[in-house]
Amino acid sequence: MRIKQGFLLREVAQSWIVVPIGQRVVEFNGLISLSESGALLWKKLEQNVDKEEELVTVLTEEYEIDAITAKQDVHDFISSLHEKGLLEQWI
Amino acid sequence: MTWGVMSHKLGCIAAEKKIPILGQFELTARCNLQCKMCYVCRNALDKQAISMEKTAKEWIKIAEEAMDAGMLYLLLTGGEVFIRKDFRDIYEELSKMGFIKSIYSNGTMITPQIAKWLGSMPPAQIDITLYGGSPKTYGKVCGDESGFERALQGIDLLLAEGINVQIRTSVIKENQEDFERLAELAEKRGVDLSIVNYISPRREGFCTNPEGERLNPKDLVQYEWRVNNYYHNKMEKSKGEKQNKNSEDELDDFVAQPDDGHPFQCNNGKSSFWITWDGKMIPCSLLDDPYTLPFETGFSQAWRDMTKACSCVLTCSTCKQCSLRDYCMSCPARLKSETGSFTEPASYLCEYAREMYQLSLDNKLTGGLVNEKVHKTYFRND
Repeated sequence: MRIKQGFLLREVAQSWIVVPIGQRVVEFNGLISLSESGALLWKKLEQNVDKEEELVTVLTEEYEIDAITAKQDVHDFISSLHEKGLLEQWI
Repeated sequence: MTWGVMSHKLGCIAAEKKIPILGQFELTARCNLQCKMCYVCRNALDKQAISMEKTAKEWIKIAEEAMDAGMLYLLLTGGEVFIRKDFRDIYEELSKMGFIKSIYSNGTMITPQIAKWLGSMPPAQIDITLYGGSPKTYGKVCGDESGFERALQGIDLLLAEGINVQIRTSVIKENQEDFERLAELAEKRGVDLSIVNYISPRREGFCTNPEGERLNPKDLVQYEWRVNNYYHNKMEKSKGEKQNKNSEDELDDFVAQPDDGHPFQCNNGKSSFWITWDGKMIPCSLLDDPYTLPFETGFSQAWRDMTKACSCVLTCSTCKQCSLRDYCMSCPARLKSETGSFTEPASYLCEYAREMYQLSLDNKLTGGLVNEKVHKTYFRND
């Protein structure tokens, strides 16, 4: 799975913001605000990710967080992205 | 988090940290209309103006630098932006950079082809100026009666492409009777009407006389009262229904915390800037002093110099101590524009404050402004 083309992650005013660019604005005319960990996952998802475990590893390597919590956080995050139609593939 | 709340949060952080989050690019001074109250209008074919305009490449480069400095919101304005033959090139490049873009236009040059193209990568909003509710008034204000129908057609073409449109007007003597008609035109299309009530003496311009065309303070206050009552009655009738989408949480998007010690109570020179068609960075559209030169020094240096200069602007002690301060629309830009000085009270603004105070007394209003919610929603401070 990966984030659809046409979104740009930006750090603006101490905040992580995702902005649609080009023709993507037609279907998503707005902003997405991400937490720091959300931005970390987003960056990873800009490339192809085969398994959710890869994202769990990203979190556990960056933060002092146990694998179970990280797994739940990742699942919630990609579910949210999926609901908003931001993912190219859903596994 | 709603768009408005997020924008407010970002705006507050940007103002505090002096991040240029809102940029306004005045791509040209040229226009196909010659509106009587315009502060910057050169003839469409003005060769001197064309030669002084920054190129598409220069605007794109300065946008890249502004993006690196933190610009998120970008307004493209003029003059009339669609008069630039390379507007499409500029817009398409800017659309790749991750800005929340908006456009000001008079709408008269929007063809089905332009609307379709814009609809393929729409701005967050396009404001179309409509300076009269009929061809006759429009012609008196803008010098071209046929522009009225073309502007309406432009609005309808944009709406058909699903683009978020707002109608925008400025009140002057010639169109003051047209408010209700303009409101109807907006309502019929399901779009908002935004009104610029304060007309500034011209920043530049070859053929306009804004001071001579604007309402006197008494008439302006009466106009605002009329608008206030119109919308107040509408709101009463539609209580519980969806209100104007500009209201509530979106109102304070770029309102700085008051009394933060800075000479500017708005965000100009703190988190927003304006770049003129000939390349000056200024705090806002009305004010050409202080200015810096971003195309010469680079954006970041120009922004740093601008914020520093704005923080040193002197304020008017008479205004600060005035008992009618809450009824006044004075700010450093307006004082400078009216009097040529930051420290001199402006008679036009003083008279406006007295009239607004009297209106409040006559109508037993509390808090000064008529209906503050309505006022903030429909009147724009630029």
